Amino acid sequence: MEAATASSISLPQHGGGLLGIAAIAPTPGAHAVSGLYVHVPFCRHKCHYCDFYSFVDRDGRQEAYVAALERDIEASRAWLTEPLSTIFVGGGTPTLLEPLLLQRAMEAIGSLPRAADAEWTVEANPETVDAARADALVRSGVTRVSIGAQSFHPRHLETLERHHDPASVGRAAQFLRAAGIEDINLDLIFGIPGSSLEDWSADLEQVLGLSPTHVSCYNLTFEPNTPLEAKLRQGRIVKMDEELELGMLELARSILEGAGYTHYEISNWSKPGHECRHNLLYWLMGSWWGLGPSATAQVGRRRWKVVPRLGDWLAGPALGGAVDLEVPDEDTWVGEAFMMGLRLIDGMPRDRAESLLKMGLQGERRRRVIEQACARGHMAFDERGLRFSMRGLPLANEVIRELLAGKD
Amino acid sequence: MPIRNFSIIAHIDHGKSTLADRLLQETNAVSLREAKAQFLDSMDLERERGITIKASAVTVTWPYKGEDYELNFIDTPGHVDFAYEVSRALSACEGAILVVDSTQGIQAQTVANAYLAIGNGLTIIPVINKIDLPSADADGVAMEVEQVLGMPAEECVYVSAKTGQGIRELLNAVCEKLPGPPPPTTTKLRALIFDAKYDDYRGVVIYIRIFDGSLRLGDKIRMMGTGRTFPVTEVNRYTPFIQRIKALGTAQVGSICASIKTLADVRVGDTITLDNDPADEPLPGYEEPKQMVFCDFYPSSADATGGSGKKGDFEAMREAIEKLRINDASFTYEVQHSEALGFGFRCGFLGLLHMDIIQERLEREGSVEVVQTAPTVSYRILKTDGEEVEIHNPADLPDPGIISEIREPIVKVEVICPDECIGDLMKLCDARRGIFKGQRFLSKGRQILDYELPLAEIIYDFYDKLKSITRGYGTMDYELVEFRANRLAKVNILVNGDPVEALSTICHRDMAEQRSRVILQKLKEQIDRHQFEIPLQASVGGKVIARETIKSLRKNVIAKCYGGDISRKRKLLEKQKEGKKRMKQVGSVSIPQSAFLAILDQGD
Repeated sequence: MEAATASSISLPQHGGGLLGIAAIAPTPGAHAVSGLYVHVPFCRHKCHYCDFYSFVDRDGRQEAYVAALERDIEASRAWLTEPLSTIFVGGGTPTLLEPLLLQRAMEAIGSLPRAADAEWTVEANPETVDAARADALVRSGVTRVSIGAQSFHPRHLETLERHHDPASVGRAAQFLRAAGIEDINLDLIFGIPGSSLEDWSADLEQVLGLSPTHVSCYNLTFEPNTPLEAKLRQGRIVKMDEELELGMLELARSILEGAGYTHYEISNWSKPGHECRHNLLYWLMGSWWGLGPSATAQVGRRRWKVVPRLGDWLAGPALGGAVDLEVPDEDTWVGEAFMMGLRLIDGMPRDRAESLLKMGLQGERRRRVIEQACARGHMAFDERGLRFSMRGLPLANEVIRELLAGKD
Repeated sequence: MPIRNFSIIAHIDHGKSTLADRLLQETNAVSLREAKAQFLDSMDLERERGITIKASAVTVTWPYKGEDYELNFIDTPGHVDFAYEVSRALSACEGAILVVDSTQGIQAQTVANAYLAIGNGLTIIPVINKIDLPSADADGVAMEVEQVLGMPAEECVYVSAKTGQGIRELLNAVCEKLPGPPPPTTTKLRALIFDAKYDDYRGVVIYIRIFDGSLRLGDKIRMMGTGRTFPVTEVNRYTPFIQRIKALGTAQVGSICASIKTLADVRVGDTITLDNDPADEPLPGYEEPKQMVFCDFYPSSADATGGSGKKGDFEAMREAIEKLRINDASFTYEVQHSEALGFGFRCGFLGLLHMDIIQERLEREGSVEVVQTAPTVSYRILKTDGEEVEIHNPADLPDPGIISEIREPIVKVEVICPDECIGDLMKLCDARRGIFKGQRFLSKGRQILDYELPLAEIIYDFYDKLKSITRGYGTMDYELVEFRANRLAKVNILVNGDPVEALSTICHRDMAEQRSRVILQKLKEQIDRHQFEIPLQASVGGKVIARETIKSLRKNVIAKCYGGDISRKRKLLEKQKEGKKRMKQVGSVSIPQSAFLAILDQGD
C-alpha cells in the first residue's frame, strides 16, 4: 500500500491490514455524494497503452463479480441517501459482462436513489455492443454510452493492440440508438506512431459521420509499465514529433468546432448541453462514491481506492478494503483543485479562483505564478474567470505544477 | 636481531599484494586459512580496484644462516598518482623488492617506481613473478630489466607468488642482499611518521619508523614540526595481527597511539622526538606533495540556489573531507562557492586516479553524495605589471587586458606499447599538442615512446584512449617538466546571453572552436527545453566562436485526468517540480547539475 504523501495526513491503520471503507469514509450524510463510479475490470484483451486495472478473465468470475457488487451496493446505501446526479460505469469493458449479468449489475446500480435527470454512462467496446446488451442498458436506465473507437485505421489499432473491426463502431452506435440511447461518446486517440495528419483527418470525418453527442480526443500517452511504453524504450516504435501532435490537436479543434462541437476540456468536445456531467464532477472536485476493484472514491476531502485485486475484493467483506487513502491538506487540495479545474477550456469562475487563492498558505506564491503565466500570454484572469489561453493549454503542466503545493 | 626494512614496488596488477600475502604465509605469520586474499589491503575500495592506497607495516621473522632476521615490510601504492605516498613509504626503508610480471614485462610504472626507489637510495631486488603461467617469459623479462634498469639479469629472483615457488629464495635474498639499517646518528629519539589513520576507538594511529633512539609506552612525545606533545598510550606492531608491545627500538617499525583526537594534529612526514629529551634536528623532510589536478566537490543535495540551503550536507562533507585529509595528506581543499552549485570545496589532487579515489572514499566513508566538476590544471598567469599568480580555476583568470602570458604545466610522458600501436599513439599525442621527444627499443615487439604534453590535454581521457589504441597493452607514466607559456584563452559559455562562470574553461586557441562545439552540444543534451528558445554560445575575448540553440518546449500537458488520476498525476507533476528545483537558475533558464559536468567529456 502506498503511503499518503508528505503533504497529506495519514490515517491510522490497524495491523498492516486493509482499512475498511466504512472506517475511513466520512460519516454518512456529512457530505452530499452526487456521483458514483463503478469499475468493471474485465477485458477481452489487454490493450498495449492501457494502464487501468483490467484483465482477461479466464476463471469465470463474472457472476462472483456481480454478486460482490450487489453486496457492496447494499453496504453503501448509508452514504448514498441523496439522489445520484451522475453514474459512470467504466473499466475494463463493462459490456463484456454476459447480457443477463450485465442487466443484474445495472439493476443493482439502478436500485440506488438517483435524480430524474441523472446522467448514467456505461463504457463499451464497440464489438461487445449488441441488441440484447443495448436493451439491457436502456431498461436499467442508462442514458449515455461511451464507445472506445480509438482509430478507424486497422494499422493504427494494431499499434495499440486494439483488436476490433473499425466498422463495429458504427454498428454499435446503431444498436444503441435503436434501443433509445441518444447520448453517445466516441473516444479517439491521436499521435499514434506511424499515423499522419491525413489519417487523423479521416478518423475525425468518420466520427462526424456517426454524429455522436460527445467526442474525446486523447493524445496518446506512454504510461509507465505498459507494453507500449516498453516498446518505446526498446526503440521498436518512435514517438511522434510534437509539432505534428500539436497539428493534430489543431485539426481536431477546427473540424469538430466546424461541426458544432464545443471544446470544453483539454481532450473533450460536446454538442451544447451534452458535456459529460460525471467527468465535470471530477474536474470540479466534487464528491463521488466508488465501487468495484480499484475504483477511486472521493468524499469531502478524503480520497481512497477500493482494493484493486479482484480476488481480494471478491473475498470481501462488504466495503472491505481501501488502499491509497489520502486526506490532502489544504494547500495540496488547492493545488489539486487548480490541476483539475483548469483543464476546462472556460477554466474556473473568478470567485472560485479567488476563494482557492485565499485558502492555504501559498496563495501569494500562486498568485505570482498566475500573473507570470498571464504575462506570457499563457493564461487569462479576468471577469470571466481564470483559464488557459489556447497557446498556454498545450503547456498547462508547466503552470499547473507551480500551482501545486510547494514543499519549500 | 638483524633488521631489514623494505617495500614491495610494482606496476599495477603485477602481483604485489599476492606476493605480500605469500611472504606472510611463508614466514608463518599467517596460516593459509587466515590468509584472506590480499591481506594488507584493508579498505574495500582498494580491494575492488586492485590498488593499494594506504601503506601498512608488517613485522615477521625469518631464519637465515642460523640467525633470525626481523623483516619489516611496508606495503606501497602501485599507481603513479601516489608517487608521494610511495616516497613516504620508501623513506622508511633501506631496500625494495621490484616485482615484474613475467607475462607482461616492464611497464611504465615499473620504471617510474624503480627510479623513485633508486632516487631514495634504496637497494633493489628485481623479482620476476607469475613464472607458473604458461605465457611467462621469465628470461626475456629479466633481459628487459637489465636493458631498461641496468640491473644484471642474473640477479633477478624468479618466483610465483601464487604457488610459492621461489619465495624462500626471495626471503633469503632480502636478508642477504638488502642492507641493514644505518647506525643511529644520535641517542635521542627520531622517528619518522610515514602514515596515519583514524580509528573510531583509539583515535589517531601513527605509523612510524624509528631511525634514532627508542620509544616506550608512556613516553611524552613531541612532534618536531608542529611542536605539539602527546603521551604515548599504545605501542603496536603487526604480525600482521596487532600485537601490543612496550617499546620500539632503533630501526624498528610499528604504530603508536597517543590520545590524539584529530588527524589534524598529525603531519605525515613529521619527526617524533621525546619531549623531555628532544633531538636537535628533525629527519630530512619529505617532499611536499604537488597537486596537479583540481576540481570542485559539492554535496549533490545542496540547495543549488546558494542560499541558506541545507547547511547540513555541506557540513557533513566538510567533516568527511577533513577526516580523509588526515588519512591522505596529499590532497588539498578550500571552501568554494559557486553561483551554480552552492557551497562546496575546491580540491587539489596528485592526479586523476587520485581524484576519483578521493571522490569514491568521500561517498563511501563519509556517506555524502558528491557532485564533481570538470577537472582542470593550475595555470600561472604573468600579469602586465610583472606579477605572477597561480590559479586553479578558470573562473579566477584575471581580466584579459592585464594578462601578458598564461603558462600551463607541461609533463614528460613515457608510454610503453607494442610496436604496431606507435603510429596511432603518435597521432593521439600530436592531436593533444604533444612534442615528440624520442622513441626507444625496449624488447622485441615493444617500444618506449617519449613525449612532452600539456597536462591539461591528458587529464580528461588520454589514458582511456591510450588503453583503447593499445588494446590494453600500453602503459604510461608522467612527471611535471615545467610551466610553459602558450596561446591559451578562456572560453566563456553563455546560456540565453548570460555567462555561466562554472562552465568556462581554459584551452588552446587553436582548439577553442572545436572544444566549444562539443561543450555546447553536451549542454544542449543536458538542458531541458523551456517555454522559450535558448541560445547557447561560446566566446573567446568577447567574440562568439560557436553557437547552438535549444528549441522551445511546445507541449507538456496531461491528456487524461479523471477522478482516479488525481493523486497519481499530482505526484507526477510534483516530481517534475522537484527535479526543476534542484537545478541552477541562470537568468530564466534552469540548468541541471549534470550539465556542469558535461564538459568533462571531450567527445573526440
